[in-house]
Amino acid sequence: MDINTRPKIIGARVQRREDPRLLTGNGAFVDDRQVPGMLHLAFRRSDFGHAKILKIDTEEAASMPGIIGIYTAETLNEITKPVIAFSNMKDYQATPIRALAQDVVRYVGEPVVVVVAENRYLAEDALNEIFIDYEPLENVVDPEYAASGDAVLVHEDLKSNILVAREFERGEVDEAMSSAAIRVKGRFRSRRKTAVAMETRSYLAEFEKSSQSLTLHSSTQIPGIIRDALVDILDIPGHRLRVVAPDVGGGFGGKASLYPEEIVVTALSKLLKRSVKWTSDRMEDLMSTSQAFDEIIDAELGLDSEGNLLALSADVLGDVGAYSIYPWTAALEPIQVVSFMPGPYRLANYRGKVRGVATNKPPTGPYRGVGRPASTFVMERLMDMAAGKLGMDPAELRLKNFVVGDEFPYRIGSGIVWDKSEFSECLNKATEKLDYETLREKQRIARSQGRLMGIGIASYAELTGIGSRISAAPGMPINTGTETARIRVDSSGSVIAYFGVASHGQSLETTLAQVVAEEMGVKVEDVEVVLGDSAVMAHSTGTYASRSAVLAGGAGTLAARAVREKIVEAASLLFEVPAEEIDVYDGLIHVSGTNRKMDLRELARAVYSEMGRFTKEVRENLDLEATKLYDPYFGTTTSASHIAVVDIDPETFKVKIEQYVVSEDCGRMINPLVVDGQVHGGVAQGIGAALYEEVIHDENGQVVTASLVDYLVPSSCEVPTIDVLHADTRSPSTIGGFRGMGEGGTIGAPAAIANAVADALAPFGIEINEIPISPERLYRLIEKARNSEKD
Amino acid sequence: MKPPIFDYVKVSTVEEATAILADSSKEAVVIAGGQSLLPMLNFRLAAPEILVDISGIEALKSLIERDNVVTIGAMTRHVDLGSSPIIARHFPVITKAVTHIAHLAIRNRGTIGGSLCHADPAAELPMMALLLNAELMVAGGKGPRTIAAKDFFQSALETDIQEGELLVSVSLPLLPPNTGWGFEEVSRKSGDFALAAVSAILVVNDGEISEARIAVAGVDETPRRMNGAEAMLRGKMLDDDHLTAVCETIQSEINPETDLQASSNYRRHLIGVLTARVLKDAFAGAGGIFE
Ligand SMILES: Cc1cc2nc3c(=O)[nH]c(=O)nc-3n(C[C@H](O)[C@H](O)[C@H](O)COP(=O)(O)OP(=O)(O)OC[C@H]3O[C@@H](n4cnc5c(N)ncnc54)[C@H](O)[C@@H]3O)c2cc1C
Repeated sequence: MDINTRPKIIGARVQRREDPRLLTGNGAFVDDRQVPGMLHLAFRRSDFGHAKILKIDTEEAASMPGIIGIYTAETLNEITKPVIAFSNMKDYQATPIRALAQDVVRYVGEPVVVVVAENRYLAEDALNEIFIDYEPLENVVDPEYAASGDAVLVHEDLKSNILVAREFERGEVDEAMSSAAIRVKGRFRSRRKTAVAMETRSYLAEFEKSSQSLTLHSSTQIPGIIRDALVDILDIPGHRLRVVAPDVGGGFGGKASLYPEEIVVTALSKLLKRSVKWTSDRMEDLMSTSQAFDEIIDAELGLDSEGNLLALSADVLGDVGAYSIYPWTAALEPIQVVSFMPGPYRLANYRGKVRGVATNKPPTGPYRGVGRPASTFVMERLMDMAAGKLGMDPAELRLKNFVVGDEFPYRIGSGIVWDKSEFSECLNKATEKLDYETLREKQRIARSQGRLMGIGIASYAELTGIGSRISAAPGMPINTGTETARIRVDSSGSVIAYFGVASHGQSLETTLAQVVAEEMGVKVEDVEVVLGDSAVMAHSTGTYASRSAVLAGGAGTLAARAVREKIVEAASLLFEVPAEEIDVYDGLIHVSGTNRKMDLRELARAVYSEMGRFTKEVRENLDLEATKLYDPYFGTTTSASHIAVVDIDPETFKVKIEQYVVSEDCGRMINPLVVDGQVHGGVAQGIGAALYEEVIHDENGQVVTASLVDYLVPSSCEVPTIDVLHADTRSPSTIGGFRGMGEGGTIGAPAAIANAVADALAPFGIEINEIPISPERLYRLIEKARNSEKD
Repeated sequence: MKPPIFDYVKVSTVEEATAILADSSKEAVVIAGGQSLLPMLNFRLAAPEILVDISGIEALKSLIERDNVVTIGAMTRHVDLGSSPIIARHFPVITKAVTHIAHLAIRNRGTIGGSLCHADPAAELPMMALLLNAELMVAGGKGPRTIAAKDFFQSALETDIQEGELLVSVSLPLLPPNTGWGFEEVSRKSGDFALAAVSAILVVNDGEISEARIAVAGVDETPRRMNGAEAMLRGKMLDDDHLTAVCETIQSEINPETDLQASSNYRRHLIGVLTARVLKDAFAGAGGIFE
């Protein structure tokens, strides 16, 4: 077959190979794993936001049936070192993380005592008989108060509650702002959110008596980072500690950090020489898994009378919670909010200021979109407010200001560089799909009938597939910029591709198999993909920051090409023809233009097993295996425009999303089914951020959203049909032309929906400055507007 | 979130159940669909010594119409209530209400008896019991007795059921001809408990309302009938002004709590909005002509 007409595997709508096992209940999650004789844990957690631990009495509990042991900081922190999330950012203050709270508790839900028992039921029975004396300290709950200097220090030995701060300016912001014909500004609030993965966090440390070694099965996104950290914390040689992430039921960033419970499980297994398991219940999940999106942002945008952007200033206060999380640090989210604020626009003058402040709440960490959902919410609200003042259509204002054509690569005010991406094309495609002009006409009619219909656009750009030049978290000294793949054709002719990255719903087993199959010339189903096991790679980190398609895909491409070359070399010797005449396709090795061919099994047998097929010299240099590292260095740009159409009940204020379009540029698609699925899931989470999800702590730091009755996650009933359109332009900066796209849905949706709601309420002159937009908040805004109309 | 230790007995007759419930040496509670009880156990908000599973009592599963009364067995699952042709014919308001109870998976297990005995102030079926003048039959204790719905719900999660008693069935007297109904509910998400819900029954004869019933849920300790507003409607037509007056009366008669999801004011506002909607629906359904 002519090479150019062969069906491509990359880009094909290949069914997910994960689905049969996951959909039939045959997945193997950590909690599914049963080890004979394993012990179970339950944690007694702090019920105070901020308090000194005076005394812990575990005597009664220890004598209860089935209890193996009870541990506190006194006993457990002895055998575990503190972990510190380092950063080379100026003025950064680290906060050591301990296995169990030492002397002081800093948030409700912080683990204080751990009970080891024969089963979880007995462990929980004993929790009630543990008595802790606390001396309450001032609860630092409000981030502005926490930052004010009047508040008590969350960490006594630090200089202030401000764990991280940064300020930068490009251009002449004050001058440009004061010359601006149009200025819009606001104080924006994005509320605290958490991941709520369907599978809660779960850890099982399996103790291998014969080798005195440990395997931690962890529902983690970052097995490599966890392994390296635990080696230090437990002071154990790396070859005796393996971390495996088996099937993981969603992460969204919530499983991308090291957790105290992970340390406790592993330390107890090492100490007791037993296998130890802990699985979080939903209540624990809602109070102890990393949270996010908690930001107050003052921002102003200036434009000239034609609608050209002149200047932007933003001041971000991020509530980062009680600890600087490992490894990402407290800088992760707030810094990215200011860094991405200028968005996909041409804008010469930008000043960003940011502080991350510690409070008595659970630590914040990565969450799908990190910083960009908040920055996009603010910037896109400002764009719509400006369009309103200019009397210009919001789509037109964006098209006017997008970076285009030969302006790429474009450096935005925070220093981030956009490589070429289809900002304008994405928006144009989205407006075409919706027949935007007609839609606006429908809106005029709806308004005249007293209906509240709104159309909201959000456009954004993000950095994905980040290489070694930049850290995935600002100032973090851990290398997150490389990935390695090892591909091997074994003596039976099977192709096995090993990757250090882990998968927790991204379909990487499918998409990486597609990449390897295409590059090697074999069938997708012939490629076995192994992921998430620290034992198979010398180094790896994991899956986060929309990196794995780009980095693992790139490494897999390089390794597959190298193995293909070896196949060709071996075949050319066997067929006694020049290498150029060998073609590998569909798992068969052909001599071009002839009917001579062999399959991989025959080739592998010849290479590994059959005597006399090659000379000694050839054989010594011939294997069918390659290991390749890939470093995209800077990474690449991904962009999208979202459009939401909403209808608000003018009496009950319920918001209904009627239509939703995502038009995105994720570069060359490996599998459109997977891309669409990722977008759908991301938008669903963005809908949660826009309308429903909010972690609430009262003034005592008590979490009042401790079950899914109170913490509202959108279900399929709240998620509309989502149309996804693709630009499918190859990234100029990555192998394969892939761009990362796992997070984008969550970045665009809060802004698009907020803009749609604001647009619907334009007749009242209401702006939306706070998410989630609950009916209660809308009720208050509308009542206020109606009352002031009356006055 | 693991329950404390308990014993479990599955019974097959009402007598067996009431005998265990009557034995005061051990604290026993009934488990029907388990959809409210199990969360209570897992949160350790309840710690009974014995669970008496009544799902094997065939006598509690009937749904029959006889002598102008529909009698529903306590073990009738929400899903069966919602799809019953008898209910759809005589009490379409229940058919509609059931669609607002949680999601299908929960409706497949939850029961009418469990919902009434759990007595969540925002639940749909307790409101239906009040609206439809239900009579609740209980066995055990000092002998079988009948409790009117208006006396049954005492406060949040509290009913008139006494120790040793089992709810056996719920009887609903049929409605007269020319009856219309309305049901409206607002919740944060589909399947969530109501922030506010209103239901109404209007009987219209010769253009005039001869009987009016309005029940609300989610805005007080128990679901409530709005007697004052009902009286305002009786003998009247429904027009805009009167509707507004009725809604305002109801709004002034309730005193909803503020919680995480909604303030007292917003809930009161919602009750006004929903009352207007259900009364219009009920009036039109009964053949009334809204002016
Ligand atoms: C996620 C979720 C969402 C929900 N949403 C809603 C909703 O929107 N609206 C709504 O109305 N409900 C909702 N529910 C509750 C659901 O309707 C329950 O099914 C119902 O409240 C209890 O019925 P059950 O049969 O499961 O009772 P159980 O849980 O088995 O019992 C509940 C209580 O009633 C007692 N009891 C049960 N049967 C009897 C009897 N025959 N005699 C005496 N005592 C008895 C039990 O001892 C227990 O105290 C929801 C539940 C869940 C889990």
